[in-house]
Amino acid sequence: MVDYDAFREEVRDFAMTRCPPEIRAVVATYRKLSRKIWYPWQKILFEHGWGAPGWPKQYGGTGWDLKQRHIFDEVMAECDCPPQYHHGLRHLGPVIIEYGSEEQKQRFLPGILNGKDWWCQGYSEPNAGSDLASLRTAARREGDDYVVEGQKTWTSHAQEADWMYTLVRTSKEAKKQQGISLLLIPLSSPGITIRPIRTIDGWHHVNEVFLDNVRVPVANRVGEEGQGWTYGKFLLERERLGGANVAPAMRNLERTRALLAEELAAPRHAQKRSLLEERLLLAEAELRGAQALGQEAIAATMEGRSLGLLPSVLKLSTSVTYQHVGEIALDAVGERLAPRFRPTDASGANAEAPGIEWVQNYMYGRVRTIYGGSSEVQKNVIAKQLFGS
Amino acid sequence: MPFTAKPIIGGDAFDQACKIGLEVDGELAQLADAADQAACLRRHWDAITALGWITTAIAEDSGGAGGDLSDLAALVGGAGRGGLPLPVVASCGVLPYLLADQPPLLSALAEGRFRIALIPAEAARDDEADALRLTDGRLTGAAVGIETPPDPTHALIVVGDALMLIATDAPGVAITRYQRIDGRPSADWRFTAGAGETLACGGEVTRRAAEARDVGALLTCIESVSAAGALLEQTIDYLLNRVQFGVPLATHQALRHRVAEMYVEYENLRGLVTHALRSTAAGAPDAWRDIAFAKLRLGEAGRFIAQSTIQCHGGMGMTEGLQAIRLARRIMMAEFEYGDRSFHAQRLIATAA
Ligand SMILES: Cc1cc2nc3c(=O)[nH]c(=O)nc-3n(C[C@H](O)[C@H](O)[C@H](O)COP(=O)(O)OP(=O)(O)OC[C@H]3O[C@@H](n4cnc5c(N)ncnc54)[C@H](O)[C@@H]3O)c2cc1C
Repeated sequence: MVDYDAFREEVRDFAMTRCPPEIRAVVATYRKLSRKIWYPWQKILFEHGWGAPGWPKQYGGTGWDLKQRHIFDEVMAECDCPPQYHHGLRHLGPVIIEYGSEEQKQRFLPGILNGKDWWCQGYSEPNAGSDLASLRTAARREGDDYVVEGQKTWTSHAQEADWMYTLVRTSKEAKKQQGISLLLIPLSSPGITIRPIRTIDGWHHVNEVFLDNVRVPVANRVGEEGQGWTYGKFLLERERLGGANVAPAMRNLERTRALLAEELAAPRHAQKRSLLEERLLLAEAELRGAQALGQEAIAATMEGRSLGLLPSVLKLSTSVTYQHVGEIALDAVGERLAPRFRPTDASGANAEAPGIEWVQNYMYGRVRTIYGGSSEVQKNVIAKQLFGS
Repeated sequence: MPFTAKPIIGGDAFDQACKIGLEVDGELAQLADAADQAACLRRHWDAITALGWITTAIAEDSGGAGGDLSDLAALVGGAGRGGLPLPVVASCGVLPYLLADQPPLLSALAEGRFRIALIPAEAARDDEADALRLTDGRLTGAAVGIETPPDPTHALIVVGDALMLIATDAPGVAITRYQRIDGRPSADWRFTAGAGETLACGGEVTRRAAEARDVGALLTCIESVSAAGALLEQTIDYLLNRVQFGVPLATHQALRHRVAEMYVEYENLRGLVTHALRSTAAGAPDAWRDIAFAKLRLGEAGRFIAQSTIQCHGGMGMTEGLQAIRLARRIMMAEFEYGDRSFHAQRLIATAA
């Protein structure tokens, strides 16, 4: 039997003593996370043996049970440690562990674990978003290579990544979910062009990735040809519990409460402050509901019961609550900060208004109901089950 | 298979309460006359009293069944789903909690000899000058819209730091009876130097009354979650069967999404209320916060679910004819029991600062 309280203390102690203050400060003030921040933290975790909380021990994971993993995530959020960069650890890694060849495991898992290889996800295309299965980027076989031709878009972190795990069409079948394969493509390959997309928060998150006759060895295909959709679904299944981690949202809410106290401390703001505090309380009640459901989901998984609609419910409710909290923060600082979104003086590159992250975060927060299965798509899933068709 | 709601706490008590609730709700719907409805409610009140409902959470050495919070949760959950328009939360949960150290009164309550209405310290009044006050043991003032059992024989009143029992037919007591918007009996109470019996006095009364209110708030949440589950089922059923433009309404995405949103609100509320039930049962020191958050959420989620039910039923949603709509009215009423949204928000904000 695991002593969860002692475990929580151990993790907290580690987080507070080993996560560098300058990294925690980035998280605490909502500045954008990048490889420069993530990598040193992943290295520290790796050297402590905690590089991959969710992986089995034999591949360098911790072998923790679900509840320990949840406690780990919770404490990390409470201590302002960056959430681990997920593309390798949470997405691709488990797929390679389940479906990859022995050679692929040896080649790719260590780099994910120690943080030396940086991965990004090439799924979406200009004409394949919610309807991902209609993707058209094609790979034709030439000897021991595939030759890949097409375009990916919305590719987060491509600008700083080494590799892209990519869904491509290897054959045309009657059913569009068939004939899709999963390829691992080095972004340094000839024929790849990466172009930034400017998002509404003024940061650089996402890119267009053009693939012009890119040669990819057949050895870089994970699993069987034509079975890519199955692997993609496996990945989603593994991520279904992601929404159970409400801790970052709770932390965000606490910071917003502190923001209200600070920003609206003047007596002339008393009324506004109490209005915003009440809205925040409603958001907190909602978030506590999601937190309770997250606990139910973890208990269900540990007892081998099915999760049913819980993951969709959690995704829908936490994403919207996150946005509500972001709006409340915006309403607190907007008048003062939104007019100073971007400095335009030549010398202004470093002249960002302190606290502008609240405005940027509000803007970027709109994505929560769009990616990872949009709200509308989740509602379709729920309704289908509720109505029985 | 379309959706079916699962009780927070199920079992025989839940099933029985639900069955009786549906029976009473159905019978009442056939009666047009308010006096006939009152008589019907009285008959059923006597019947559930005889079944021992009120003894559920009374200690065994006071002649009760010695049940706990989860037994009450099953009972009020069932009553909530059935739409039973009687004060089950107050009479089976809150009053026994307040009267725990008054065994004779507990038996009178449990046997149905006394039908007691609770007038809490924060009871509404029409006029500030009506505030209840005790002068030389005599009660003066008024409290309005008080939920009562059918034909109340007594009122139990928290006034200042005193707990008082006063008979409805005592000199200086006048009541005006109503039906609430959810069909339950209620009354205005006016006292002019009313002579009652002071049962207890002091800080202990205030503390216990606050705890009793939280028990009431928690049970009301459980009852409402249960009613909300039934609302979802009935709304889905209605949309699957109602045909417009040649197709069932359930084929329209706008309505499917509205129902999905109802479900998300329902699940979120259910999670929070279940959590509050667990922490209260475990005696967690912070349990009152969980209850306050749950009641706050009930205000928001409950109203969204009730309003969506009405909307999805179109014109039928504006009638009293469907059980779903009567349940929707019940959920809207629950907002005003044991502290409304603003009340619980103020408590939480006061301690967060
Ligand atoms: C910041 C950001 C980062 C991203 N990162 C990545 C990444 O790293 N890798 C990657 O592969 N992708 C990434 N994505 C892409 C993301 O997964 C897609 O944006 C998402 O799948 C939605 O697709 P779409 O943008 O084409 O919208 P569309 O599918 O065109 O949807 C537009 C609107 O229509 C609604 N809609 C769609 N279908 C239905 C339906 N059947 N019923 C009702 N409404 C519907 C949607 O909910 C949405 O509101 C990212 C996106 C953003 C914005």
